Amino acid sequence: MYRRCTISWLQPQPHSEHSPNATTWGEKHDVPSNVQSQQTLQEYIDACGQKLGWWSNTPAYIRSLLQAWYGDAANEEDGNCSYRLIPKMIGDHSHLVTSYAMLDGKVKGYLLFGQNPAAGSTNARMQRKALEQLDWMVVRDLYEVESAAFWYKQPGFGPETEPVDSSKIKTEIFLLPAAASTEKEGSFTNTQRMLQWRDKAVDPPGDARSDLWFVYHLGKRLKELYADSKEWRNRGLQSLTWDYQMEKPEEGSRIHDEPDALLVLKEINGYYVRPPDQAGKGSSQTYTLRNAPHIPSYTVLMNDGRTACGSWIYSGVYPEPGNNRAASRNPEGRTFPQWGFAWPANRRILYNRASADPQGHPWSERKKYVWWDEAEKKWTGYDVPDFPLNKPPDFTPGPGAVGMDAHSGSDPFIMKPDGKGWLFAPKGLKDGPLPTHYEAAESPVHNALYHQQSNPAAKYFRDRADNRLAAIGDSNYPIVITTYRLTEHHVSGPMTRWMPWLNALQPSLFAEISPELASERKIRHGDWVIINTPRGEIEARAMVTRRMRPLHVSGRVVHQIGLPFHWGFQGKSKGSITNDLAHMVLEPNVSIEEAKAFTCNIRPGRMP
Amino acid sequence: MAVEPSQDTLNGQGSSLRAVVSMLVGNKMPPLPQQPAMGFFTDTSLCIGCKACEVACKQWNQLPASDPGWTGSSYDNTGQLSATTWRHVQFIEHIGRREDGQNGYSGVRSDISGQIAQAKKDNVIPLIPPGTALPFFNTDRWLMQSDVCKHCANAPCLEACPTGAIIRTEFDTVYVQQDICNGCGYCVVACPFGVIARDERGTHTARKCTLCYDRMKDGIEPACAKACPTDSIQFGEVAKLKAHARERLGILHERGVKEARLYGVDDDILDGGLNSFFLLLDEPEVYNLPANPQRPSNNVVPASLWTILAAMVLGLFGIIFFRE
Repeated sequence: MYRRCTISWLQPQPHSEHSPNATTWGEKHDVPSNVQSQQTLQEYIDACGQKLGWWSNTPAYIRSLLQAWYGDAANEEDGNCSYRLIPKMIGDHSHLVTSYAMLDGKVKGYLLFGQNPAAGSTNARMQRKALEQLDWMVVRDLYEVESAAFWYKQPGFGPETEPVDSSKIKTEIFLLPAAASTEKEGSFTNTQRMLQWRDKAVDPPGDARSDLWFVYHLGKRLKELYADSKEWRNRGLQSLTWDYQMEKPEEGSRIHDEPDALLVLKEINGYYVRPPDQAGKGSSQTYTLRNAPHIPSYTVLMNDGRTACGSWIYSGVYPEPGNNRAASRNPEGRTFPQWGFAWPANRRILYNRASADPQGHPWSERKKYVWWDEAEKKWTGYDVPDFPLNKPPDFTPGPGAVGMDAHSGSDPFIMKPDGKGWLFAPKGLKDGPLPTHYEAAESPVHNALYHQQSNPAAKYFRDRADNRLAAIGDSNYPIVITTYRLTEHHVSGPMTRWMPWLNALQPSLFAEISPELASERKIRHGDWVIINTPRGEIEARAMVTRRMRPLHVSGRVVHQIGLPFHWGFQGKSKGSITNDLAHMVLEPNVSIEEAKAFTCNIRPGRMP
Repeated sequence: MAVEPSQDTLNGQGSSLRAVVSMLVGNKMPPLPQQPAMGFFTDTSLCIGCKACEVACKQWNQLPASDPGWTGSSYDNTGQLSATTWRHVQFIEHIGRREDGQNGYSGVRSDISGQIAQAKKDNVIPLIPPGTALPFFNTDRWLMQSDVCKHCANAPCLEACPTGAIIRTEFDTVYVQQDICNGCGYCVVACPFGVIARDERGTHTARKCTLCYDRMKDGIEPACAKACPTDSIQFGEVAKLKAHARERLGILHERGVKEARLYGVDDDILDGGLNSFFLLLDEPEVYNLPANPQRPSNNVVPASLWTILAAMVLGLFGIIFFRE
C-alpha cells in the first residue's frame, strides 16, 4: 500500500491530480528523436567515437568494417573511404516506428524474417492495417503465419476468422519456406553475449532454405541486376564484397548452393588485407577473404585499410583456421571459458576489474574474480581481464592524456570516457540523468510522486486514431492489464502453435483474474470473457485464481488481470490476438513497447 | 541429473548377442545379469513447471499428443497420467487468505471477504477451484510436481498381471511387454497411484513409463531427466539416490523448509518402498498421492481365508440341515 512520504517535495502536488489539462502522458511533451547528421565518415566518428576511453578506437573499427564490406572500393574514396556507399539514418527507423511509416504509405516493400507483427507486435490490429499498405512483402517462416495470411483472412471474433476482400488489399505477399534451426549451420548469440555454433542435422524439406542462403542469393541477384548501372546510388551494391560460395558442396546434401557459414564468420572475426608486417597502402600483396590470415582479436585492427572486420565486438571468435571458438564445447573451468565464445574477447563478465578494490585486491576472497598480480605485474583471474593487462592499479594519467591512457589504474569502466560507472548519466540516456518513477502511459492513478505523470521522453503517437490511450483514471477502462508468455509457446506462436505436443499443454487463450474481480463482474471460472481497450476487443477463457490480487492504490481498489499473448488465427491452436489490445507507446532509448501495463475493461460473454 | 550411475551399471552386456545365440540353439533365453536398481528422485522443491519432461517423454517414446483441451486447472492441461502420458506436471495453487497488514497488502481482502462469501453462495466462484487446494492453506506457493510411474519395489500391477506381460527388468524397473499384454486391464485397477492405463485408441494394451529402458540399455539417462533444466528429476542407482534424497531433505530442513518430506523412500510404503520417489513440500494428498497406498495382493490371504471359512460354514450348514 502507498504510504505518504515524509519528504514534503515528494508528495503529490494538488494541480497534477486536478488540472483539467492533465493528460496520461503528462504536460511535458516528448522530444522527437534526434538523429545526428552523420553524412561523412568524420561526422560519424565524431558522433560515435570518443576522445577518451576505449571508444577512441572507433576510427579503426569503422575503417575495418568498410574494408570488409567494400574491399578495394574502401580505398578509392579518399578521406571518406566508402562510407558514402552506406545508406544513412534519416530518422527513427525502429521496427514499431516503421510500422507507422508503412501505414502512411511511406514504405513500399518489406522483408520479414521469422517475425510476426500481425499477431506478435503491440497494437497488432494497426500492424495488420500497416501491412496492407505495402506494395510487396516477403515472409520467410516455417509456416503460414498470421503476417503471411492477413490478406485473405482476419481475426473475426475469438478464434474464428473472417474472409477478407482481398481485392482491396494491394500488398503482394511472397511466402518463402525457411529452414528450421536444426536444418542449417550458423551461430546464435544469447543475452549473456555468448555465441554458440549450431550444426546442421538434416537438410531442410522441399524448397525450404536457410536465411543465410536467401540473403546470399538475393545479394548475388541484385549485384547481377545492377552490374552495368552507371547510377551513383548503385555503387554500393556494385562494390559490395559478396563471395561466400562453398568451395565444394556439403557431402550428402541435396542443396548445392548453400553459402559457407564459416566464411561469413571469418569476415565477422576479421582478417588481414595486407600482411601485418607491411606498412601503408603502397604494399602490393593483398589478400581476399578466402586466403587472408585471420586476425587474432580486435586489438590489432587498424584504420588504414590493412585489416577488415565485419563486427569488431565479435572479433576473436575465429582467430585461426580450424579454431571456431563458438563451436567449442569444453565444460571445464570456473567460468566455463572454453564453452562457446562470449563477446568481446571471450569475456564472461564485463568491467570485471571492478571485482577488485582500487588497489587491485579482491573485494572478497571468497568471491574473487579478477585481480592484480603484483609479482607478475599484470591483471589475472578466472576471466579475461576487462582492463589493459599491464596497467598497474596505481597508474595515474598524465595531463592531456587521451584514449585509454586517460584512465587511471582504478577506473574499471573502460568504455566510459571517464572510466567510471554512472548512476548519474549526463549523456546517452534520453530520459536521464537519473531513473525515476513514472506511471505507465495508461494508468488508473496519478503519479503519486511527481507532477509528471508518465515518461516525458517516451514516444506516444497520440495523434494516431488507432493508438488511442485511455485517460488517467478513465472509468471505462478501470482495470490494469499485463501481458506475458507461457513456457509452452514462443512469442506469437509461429513455431509452437503448429506443434501438437505443445498445443495440448496450452491449448487456449485465457485471462487470469482474481476471485474479487470475478465476483464483482459475475464471472465464473472457465467462462468466456470479453476484454476491451480503446484499441480493440478480444475474448478469452476466465481463469479465476488467487495468484492475481487486487491492489490497494491511492485509497481505492485497483484490479489487475493478466493474459498470455501467444495466439492468433493461424496454426493448429487458435485464439484471439492479445496484442490487439495493446497500445504502441515506445520507451525513448531503444523503442521497446510498453506492453506490460495498460488499462482495460472486462465483462463476461463471447464476442458476437 | 546429478547422481551419476556407476560406469559398469549401464553397458549393454552383449545382451543382443546372447538373444541371437539363444534363438539359434532354441534355448529359453537366460535371465539377463542383475544390475543395480535404477530409479528417479523427483525433487519438487526444484520444479519450475516448465513441462520439458512431458514433452521430452512424448518425443522420445513417440507418444501421441492428447486432445487439446483447456481444463482451467491452473496451468495444467494434461490432467493425469495415461497410457500415452508418462510424465505429468501438476500445478497446485497454494494461495492463502491474507490478513490485514501482511506483505504490504492491507485491508482489501478483509473488506471484501463478505463479497467472496456471497459469491461462493451464488456459485459465482467455485468453492475449490479445480486443481487447487486453496481454502486449506495459508502460505502462498505454487507447488509443481512432475508425476511419474513409481516403479514400486513390490509392484501391484505386476502382481495383478495374469499373462506375465509385466516384468521386473534387470534394472529392477517395472516394464510392460507390449507383445505379451492382452489388454485385460487388471493392472489398471491394481495400481494404487492411477499410473498405468490401457491405450484405448491405439494398441489396446496397458502402457506406462518404461524408465526409458531402451536408453538405459545404452547407458543414457531417461529423456525426462535429461531434459529437466533444474535437476528436479534425477536419475541414478536407487540406493545412491535415496541417500542423496535424505541429504537434500536435511539441507532443506536446516534452511527452515520444515514442511519438506520424502515420499516413497522408506521401505514401509507399499511393503518395500518405491524406486521412483519424491521430495514433497506438503502432505502427499496435496499432490494427489495416497498417504498409505495399498497392495491389492495383501487382500488375497485374508479374502481366501474368509472364503474358505464361509465355504466351511456353508458346508457345515449343509451337513447339519441336509443330512437326509
